[in-house]
Amino acid sequence: MEFTRLSGDWVMMRTIEVFLVIIIITTAFIISSFFAVLPQPRQVSPLNLRRLALTTLQTLDGDYDLSGTAFKPQDDTAWSNLQIALSACLPPNIVYNLTVYEVLSGGTQLYTFIHSVSNAESLGVSSDASSYLVASSNVTFSVVPEKIGEHGGGGTLYILNCSDANGWWITGYTGQSLAEDLYNLLSPYFKTTIMLQNTTQLARILDGTSIQGETLRNATVINTVGEAVPIPSAYCISPYSDGNYARYCHFLGNMTRLYNWTWVSIVGYPVYYVSNIEYFPNDDNTYGIYGMKCVGPAGFNAFLKGLDNQAYYYDSGEITGQPGLVHLSTEALYYCNYYGIYPASHQTSTRALPLSITSDYSLTIEFQMFNLVGNWIAGAVFRHAVSGSFLALGLTRTPDIRLTALGLLSYYRPRLYRSEYTAAGTSRLVVLQLGQVGGV
Amino acid sequence: MTGSTIDHLVSLMVFLGAILLFIGLFNQTIQTAILYQHHRSLATKCSDLLDNMLLNPGNPLDWGKSNCTPTGFGLQDPEFTQYRLSPFSLMRLLSSAGNRVYYSQTGKWYSNVSWGIGGGYLLLPESECINYSTASKLLGVNGTYGFQLTINPTLTVNVREVQLIPLRLEVQVMGPGVPLSGANLDYLLFWTIGREEGGWPLFNYTSCSTQTNSAGLAYLEFSDNPYIRVDDNKTAYTIILKAHVGGLYGIGYKSRETITSAGNIIPFVESYENGTVLLAHKWGKNDPDGNQGALFFNATFYVLSDNFVPINVYIPNSTGLVNYGKEGKPFHRIQIPTANPGFLVVAYCKSANEYGMVVMPWGIGTIGISVVFGGDPFGKEWVVTDMRQVLVGDIAYQAKLALWSLQGYQVIG
Repeated sequence: MEFTRLSGDWVMMRTIEVFLVIIIITTAFIISSFFAVLPQPRQVSPLNLRRLALTTLQTLDGDYDLSGTAFKPQDDTAWSNLQIALSACLPPNIVYNLTVYEVLSGGTQLYTFIHSVSNAESLGVSSDASSYLVASSNVTFSVVPEKIGEHGGGGTLYILNCSDANGWWITGYTGQSLAEDLYNLLSPYFKTTIMLQNTTQLARILDGTSIQGETLRNATVINTVGEAVPIPSAYCISPYSDGNYARYCHFLGNMTRLYNWTWVSIVGYPVYYVSNIEYFPNDDNTYGIYGMKCVGPAGFNAFLKGLDNQAYYYDSGEITGQPGLVHLSTEALYYCNYYGIYPASHQTSTRALPLSITSDYSLTIEFQMFNLVGNWIAGAVFRHAVSGSFLALGLTRTPDIRLTALGLLSYYRPRLYRSEYTAAGTSRLVVLQLGQVGGV
Repeated sequence: MTGSTIDHLVSLMVFLGAILLFIGLFNQTIQTAILYQHHRSLATKCSDLLDNMLLNPGNPLDWGKSNCTPTGFGLQDPEFTQYRLSPFSLMRLLSSAGNRVYYSQTGKWYSNVSWGIGGGYLLLPESECINYSTASKLLGVNGTYGFQLTINPTLTVNVREVQLIPLRLEVQVMGPGVPLSGANLDYLLFWTIGREEGGWPLFNYTSCSTQTNSAGLAYLEFSDNPYIRVDDNKTAYTIILKAHVGGLYGIGYKSRETITSAGNIIPFVESYENGTVLLAHKWGKNDPDGNQGALFFNATFYVLSDNFVPINVYIPNSTGLVNYGKEGKPFHRIQIPTANPGFLVVAYCKSANEYGMVVMPWGIGTIGISVVFGGDPFGKEWVVTDMRQVLVGDIAYQAKLALWSLQGYQVIG
């Protein structure tokens, strides 16, 4: 009897336990639901306000208007225009606060407040900001280039500015005007720049004598008279006159090798003519330019043989081709930006060199200015396996000496040291904070 | 004993019921959280993808200037950094804004970037455009995400004729929903001034500046120097306007395209790389029957300098006539220079008293054309969007990307 009663007391125990479990799980669900708050739709799919702010600032400064306004806190018209522009370019549900700070140098404080504009009292529950540094238009940023030859041998630039030599395929220019432009473009990058004023001075360096104590070895020699090359009177005789002066071109190749020069041909077929006004007063290049003699393709063939230390023999076979439209290589485009030299990226080549010269004369392409068209190289710096190199731009006339400068700088790659950007009073920080209003 | 059994049965059933209920409840919460997470990652992907498109020029760098198929997709102008887009790469995107156009004379389909909007046409051969599928593959989202990229000018410059004698134009400059007050307006007006002996029209141009009022409106009246009347199509004109305020630049245009009794002219780009353009005699839904007369034209290509001065670039064979029916000259082929952005102005006339003009941009941005590229987001379960302010040339544009998932949860499409 007692057992039965006891059993009757516990008869619904399981059900009670289950309800207790349900209460516990319900409590757990409520508690977990309380903490597991789902984000608002705006947070689930947010507009990237930081990027929007940055791109807005960049757009407004596309023509440096934002920079100008940032330095004119008292100019109400400029700030009013800036506010109109901000309102016009941001979506209607975006509010903003734009603040300008002065950037300080030294001391403990980095920034001080200058001016602020906003179109709302608060930026809502979520906001983000981007900052943008602007520079005063009064600031001049200087760039100091590294000198070629500063950390090694060489560093001399010879520009053939020979008044007693005529040019060909430099139509519209004279050798002298090109020499002057090249001097302005390139002299900041070389340790020493010497304008060889006549063929007598050219003869001196060919003889191994410096003009003003400069380093002769590892120099760069730019021939400014196009397809012609100046020839000193002392070399207008035998044996240099062999093969219609092809032998002289062989000698030039030899000297390039001997002194490890970089010989530069700015346009057309290299060393196609030799020029000396006094020695060839009655000879013309067959196109009416007097003071020069036509060597023809034999000149460059001889030059290459001289560079490769091959014995001279007369070879008048033409080696250049006409690929036509050529494009600057990606590497050349990069250096356009680096050195701030912007020739047209498309050029016409009618005197491109064949790729086969690299194997025929032990050359390697050190810097390729133009993309290859077939097996034609419209412009490149070639380096000989032992010593000496040359830059040949096989483009059609008239020459663009910016390409010459670009080719040489891309070959030597002198670094540019730019001045300090955050000079006191010259930079201001613009912070644009954006917030979203409306919706959830 | 019976009571205990009932107790067990009841408790078991209640317990199982409760467990099922709670599994459902927890599962719903977890599913919602996963879905939210999924949508959140979609938003992040959208932002990344947009930057991928806008911050790299693609490969090769000049794919926008040639008709090659790029091996890398990007819209950045290769000559600049940051968010500055190439006017040419944008032009090569196969437009999904308007219906594709078929021209029976060439047997080709054309991408319809602009079909006569404000007298402006930009029709490129589809075979030379980059289509959505190619772009998706190059971006690595083929089969996983769908997208639509919209590049719209930030400022809208609308031109409306409010008076014909003399010509009076109302110009409205708008931001996204707000009129732009106090905006400086520079404009170029090209207008016909009669006919050459050969029959083709001559035109002149002038430039001037003004400012919008507080409602974002400006009025231009041509009552003197030049005096222009456009009643009965006596004169045709093309006006290009550049608005700027506070560093924000916008551009707009209007060309007085008229349907003369001999039809009109529609420019089709024949070869993107070579810049050949077909000036087609009136073509479209109202195909000419061949009985109307010839239409004389004069086409001129302009490049705009930094200070908004038009530079006339010579194009050979830029004048002549087209006649769809009788003389077997349904179109005339010209070649424009492709190196720089510019616009082609085509003036045409049937007689000395009936003129029309159309304009064709070369490069997005020269006259403020929009681009819509990609799939259609309509009907997709969850579409995220992101936007950036970009520059095309010096004109402010907004690049908006709509992105949706083609996989995963609750995709309807």
